Amino acid sequence: MTALLDVVSLHYRHPGHPADAVDGASLEVNPGEVVGVIGPNAAGKSTLARLACGLLTPSSGEVRLSGRPVAKLSRQERALRVAFLPQQQPNDLLFTAREVALMGRAPHLGLWALEGSHDRALAEAALVEADAAALAERPVSQLSGGERQRVFLARAFAQDAALLVLDEPTAGLDLAHQVLLVNALRRRSREGRGALLVLHDLALAGAACDRLVLLVVGRVAAEGTPAEVLQPDLLSRTYGTPVDVVCDPATGQPLVAPRIAR
Amino acid sequence: MKRSAAARAAMAIAVLLPIALVALVAGLFVGAGNLSLRAAFSGVEPDATVLFRLRLPRVLLAAEVGAALSVAGVALQALLRNPLADPFIFGLSGGAAVGTAIAVALSGTFVGAAAAAAASWSGLLPSQIAAVAGALCAALFVFMLGRARGQLSPERALLVGVVFNSFASAVVISVEAVLRPEQAQSVLLWLSGTLGYESAPVLLAAGVLILIPVLVLTALAGRLNLLALGDDGAAALGVDVASTRIIAFVAASVAVGVSVALTGLVGFVGLVVPHGVRIVAGPDHRILVPAAALGGAAFLVLADAGSRVLFRGLGMEPPVGAVTAIVGAPVFVLLLRSRR
Repeated sequence: MTALLDVVSLHYRHPGHPADAVDGASLEVNPGEVVGVIGPNAAGKSTLARLACGLLTPSSGEVRLSGRPVAKLSRQERALRVAFLPQQQPNDLLFTAREVALMGRAPHLGLWALEGSHDRALAEAALVEADAAALAERPVSQLSGGERQRVFLARAFAQDAALLVLDEPTAGLDLAHQVLLVNALRRRSREGRGALLVLHDLALAGAACDRLVLLVVGRVAAEGTPAEVLQPDLLSRTYGTPVDVVCDPATGQPLVAPRIAR
Repeated sequence: MKRSAAARAAMAIAVLLPIALVALVAGLFVGAGNLSLRAAFSGVEPDATVLFRLRLPRVLLAAEVGAALSVAGVALQALLRNPLADPFIFGLSGGAAVGTAIAVALSGTFVGAAAAAAASWSGLLPSQIAAVAGALCAALFVFMLGRARGQLSPERALLVGVVFNSFASAVVISVEAVLRPEQAQSVLLWLSGTLGYESAPVLLAAGVLILIPVLVLTALAGRLNLLALGDDGAAALGVDVASTRIIAFVAASVAVGVSVALTGLVGFVGLVVPHGVRIVAGPDHRILVPAAALGGAAFLVLADAGSRVLFRGLGMEPPVGAVTAIVGAPVFVLLLRSRR
């Protein structure tokens, strides 16, 4: 079985910085898997996500998408294999939510970028999947932060790639829409697709992901099932603040809670 | 309100086509003297000369320059991700002004005579060529200085453009100090944007030179749409952001350069027309680019006709650039405030 995403001992240094932002990280996302990348601020999570999509060129190491080195793929081939949700979305777009969802079809279109009925149908389905169908006619500039995030998730879904790389996809989403997103990702993984999520919410990471990768100063500090990675000692040490992890008696899921003095 | 691409395209045609027709009629028939169409077509003078030698070339020139400036405005607004960007923001106006001022200052000298001889083959004046050269050099300069981490940074480019234009106006004032009064007057007139009478070959060449960037930008429209998502967002959808920027930038610069050569600096067209056209055509560049070409052509033809009518009583005609600025600035503020 070929991994959808295979990252092999990747190094990357931002221009003008003294140290590597990503310092020998390796990970993979297999078909049917949702993998979470967690870690403190400036651990290199977003840089890793952008490297995984081929948006940055690593100084050494390799990224493979479904077995093909990303450096050897054309931009269009790359966009057909991986859909990316950046950490920040533009908030001044005059385009409607439907038009933004349709933009996800761009890699599938020809020179004059004219969409067909198939593209429109997929964009509509993606809007429904992200619970943004009711927003379809509204300019994105008029939406709230969470609504906007749903529209951009719909855009990523409409791209119809085997791999989704989502940088903080739950930012701005209320509880119900976080659950909706996780269920959508699960549904897609049952179809043999995969996702790499950058997450800050450790409780959500534990609940949503099949596997977690803990990134610290550009290196993989721990990798495994949520139960293996979400260890109180490890998290307390990594984040530099006391953290408790309890096992949810109902589901067996690890629940992460920072210890905050009153 | 339905906002599908087809509905917006239909709306743009329904609104802009009548405006363009009105502009054409007004441009041909409004002027200092009364014109008899029947007389003009049956070759009666002076009507025939007025229609075919004066009005028609002037309408064509206004249409070409209006279309070029509007489309360039749309392209630069997409590149800078800022709907308030003007085609002259990249230092183009400042560069053109410096080029013209220097050319005029040198016109009496040996260098100026040599330049005039060299320029004569193209049918243009040395000051026109100097303006285009100045505009393009400035654009290149701002484009290079506006980069951060190897990519064009919209905010930085806007600031560099504004600063460069201020710097250029200081240079122009310094150069004007050494000019004779009538030379200074001609520089001023040129800088304020004037529609003159060009020969048919010049109009044809300019038309082709403007049509090419319009077609290039129409072909690039899908990618210009995606640029609105930000560099990463566009790149993740398969767009080569750097090359898209360079191609669109060069196309816009050619369109602006041709306009500057023919008419000097006609301000506000590239700002007001795209803004107005977006209201009917929406933000989709596949519709916006051709619609802005049509709307810009109509706008400048109307502005020119307006200046001929409104100032007829005074026996003078202000430069069309003054009219576009007088009309454009308040219209722009109104458009800006009407939008949320």
